[in-house]
Amino acid sequence: MFSLIIRRILMSIPVLLIVASLTFALVRIVPGGPFDSEKSLPPEIVANLNAKYHLDKPVHEQYFLYIGRLCRGDLGVSYKYVNRTVNDILFDAFPVSCQLGIVALGLAVIFGVPLGAIAALNRGKRQDVLAMFLSTMGVSLPGFVIGAVLIYVFAIKLRILPVGLWESPWHVILPAVTLAFSPGAYLARLTRASVLEVVEKDWVRTARSKGLSEEKTIVRHILRNSLMPVVTVLGPLTAIVITGSFVVEYIFAIPGMGRFFITAVMNRDYDLILGTTMVFAVLLIVANMFVDIVYQWLDPRLRME
Amino acid sequence: MGVNKAALRKSNRPAKDDRFLISFVKLFLAEPGCKASQGWVVSRLPLYMAPLFLLFLAPTLLTACGDNAINSSGSPLALRKPYEDKVLRINLGTEPPGLDWHTSTDSTSFDVVSNLMVGLTQYTNDLEVKPSCAASWDVLDGGRRYLFHLRDGVTWTDGKPVTAYDFEFAWRRLLKPETAAQYAFFLYDIEGARDFNTGKIRDFSKVGLKAIDAKTFEVKLSKPAAYFIYLTAFCPTFPQRKDIVEQFGDRWTEPEHLVTNGPFKLAKWQHEYKIELDANEKFFEGRPALSKIKMFMVPEASTAFALYENNELDFVDNRSFSTPDVERYRSSPEYRNFPLLRAYYLAFNVSKKPFDDVRVRKAFAMAINRNVFPKILRRGERPTNSWIPPALGGDGCGLSFDVAAARRLLSEAGFPGGKGFPETKLLYPNREDVRLVVEATQDELKRNLGVKIDLVNQEWKVYLATTRKDPPQMFRDSWGADFPDPETFMNLFTTFNGNNHTRWHSQDYDNLIEQAEGEQDKEKRKALYQKADVMLCRDAVPIVPAYLATQNIMVKPWVKGIAVNPLDFQFFKTVEVGESNK
Repeated sequence: MFSLIIRRILMSIPVLLIVASLTFALVRIVPGGPFDSEKSLPPEIVANLNAKYHLDKPVHEQYFLYIGRLCRGDLGVSYKYVNRTVNDILFDAFPVSCQLGIVALGLAVIFGVPLGAIAALNRGKRQDVLAMFLSTMGVSLPGFVIGAVLIYVFAIKLRILPVGLWESPWHVILPAVTLAFSPGAYLARLTRASVLEVVEKDWVRTARSKGLSEEKTIVRHILRNSLMPVVTVLGPLTAIVITGSFVVEYIFAIPGMGRFFITAVMNRDYDLILGTTMVFAVLLIVANMFVDIVYQWLDPRLRME
Repeated sequence: MGVNKAALRKSNRPAKDDRFLISFVKLFLAEPGCKASQGWVVSRLPLYMAPLFLLFLAPTLLTACGDNAINSSGSPLALRKPYEDKVLRINLGTEPPGLDWHTSTDSTSFDVVSNLMVGLTQYTNDLEVKPSCAASWDVLDGGRRYLFHLRDGVTWTDGKPVTAYDFEFAWRRLLKPETAAQYAFFLYDIEGARDFNTGKIRDFSKVGLKAIDAKTFEVKLSKPAAYFIYLTAFCPTFPQRKDIVEQFGDRWTEPEHLVTNGPFKLAKWQHEYKIELDANEKFFEGRPALSKIKMFMVPEASTAFALYENNELDFVDNRSFSTPDVERYRSSPEYRNFPLLRAYYLAFNVSKKPFDDVRVRKAFAMAINRNVFPKILRRGERPTNSWIPPALGGDGCGLSFDVAAARRLLSEAGFPGGKGFPETKLLYPNREDVRLVVEATQDELKRNLGVKIDLVNQEWKVYLATTRKDPPQMFRDSWGADFPDPETFMNLFTTFNGNNHTRWHSQDYDNLIEQAEGEQDKEKRKALYQKADVMLCRDAVPIVPAYLATQNIMVKPWVKGIAVNPLDFQFFKTVEVGESNK
């Protein structure tokens, strides 16, 4: 187990380096710079700005400067939000996204997985049709539609939940539900497919023929074995959901980090683009490592190695 | 193979930890132990699915019987008092990029700063400047030297007096190359300021700025500039405290460190979410009527507007409006509309064919009916054909809508009825309102001149880079006034202005502007600018002015005293919120 973790950590170093280098190159290829604005500045002023942020140095020097800072855990400074470092910005925003993401992910798993299982175990019946209808809607309806409908119904018409903002636990409900829809629906479809495959297996027939009660068969032999693909997608899904969603944060006015994936690029805020990308990359690697560990628990065959 | 038999055995044994799951599954079985096909009962499913059903069905049901009643229900949120006494809740839209008034340049930051700080002078809502930190000032040496006499009793929030040294420090910091302040160029009219900012001179004593004593601040200009006084009411020229800025470095604008001198003080700053300002009891004009301003940062207009409708915001403006909302509330007493000094225009790249021919440019200018713009944008925009806005003395001297004359000019230029007109691109930034404007323009030109132009849209920063480097034949652009003087608009099209992307330049025009800048007589100045405006909009026509934007606001009945300045500054020191105003 430990060797697995250590191996994974060592492997992640070149991956992160490649991610950082590619992003660094891409942001500098895109036309437009951080200080372009509607009112263009006298060249003297632009020179001062470039000097302040080391943008006057040759690109390769900027690159080594950046990698050097990255190794020390310093993600740089924001050009848009003067006086704030990228570390500050992400340190403020990530906990919010993470909190919201965990609630949403919980909702997605609690609703999605059983929904898929119910559908599969009742293949072709009303429950199946209904469940798949719901999950198709969940997958295909974009977040801004779901969010707008939820706001309209629960905040404007019924007035039982707040429209937006981030003040109390009540304010978490609507955005968390909005955020949970798509992953929940996805998990439901995945679980259904997986359960359908597993119920055909020999060991399920064996379990039933040896007289095991139905619920024990379902839990121990069907569900457990059909969770592998679910766990596989849960890794990257977690990384995606806890780093926030631009749409959900935007329509509910939540101060999370999802917005930076979009706004940093729009502002050409180079270090902030790199910072959000690196944080996401690290989280993705960690999540995948967890997936590998959970695999070992779910599938004894993997423990043999 | 090294099989871990113990582990295998263990996993086959009934594990204790799945008891919970087994009982969970039992919930879904009507009679425990029966076959799966019968066990999973339909009746249980709706129970479990109830919340999901609700989410999907409720909207359908409600819209089916929906009405426009905005305040109909009696739920707890609606029962609450609709406002907080002496608290104003507004929407900033986005995080202010920074509250350091030297390095920030955007209206969001200035919305906050202009309620935290006052400068030597301040704006009234009628675009006049009146004394503020400076009780009076003398204009000497034919407009080349300004002596500001500071008022007694103006203090910082920590109790120390505001002195001329605070201004000297602040203006010096604004000009220091290391500060890299984008708005440092506003002080370029001061002797030596440009050279100091570019690092050509390091000796600050050569710059025409000096605190003669604690109460007297002297500014020497390199040439007379009639608009200079306006700059002393503009955020980047507000004073700063040397000790605070130097002690706290980059973090001096955080609420625990920031020291200000205006009607409010910064109490709380939750980045990307909310800023809270508290009344400053020590403000020299007296304590403001509000005790607190909550400035939320709700980026999505429909959400902000829903918050307003639910009484969670007291005041919203353009940032929080979608066009249908404006339509819906146009006749409401809560709605008001203010003209702004922000002009939108179409520009030609006069170095590219066929717009190197002034007849083509004139034909285009006369073929576009500007009255369509307010009809499609629907926010009370004012169509205009001259570049100086009416509020600053513009008199509509530009070319007006005249299809017959436009067609005649186009055929004189060699394109009768638009025949043989070369492929023409109109560049615009990717934004919904701008798209509507350029589509209307395309339509007008097709109908009135028989000319087909192609629309090209680019993402904002790409668009900025393109207009700067190599603009196509036509592009749309805009300009917001920095100060209430024709200079801010007219200087734009001088040869060396970095914002003149038209490639048009004229020595005569440059001379006129320079002459106007130095002219002390108000009427003569006005005439000079008007002459330049005729040159720009009637004779040479490198641009087609289109319309002036407006600020649309909605204010709750319990709020009194909200007004919008044409420069789009919102001052809250005289605003009141509470029962008595209902």
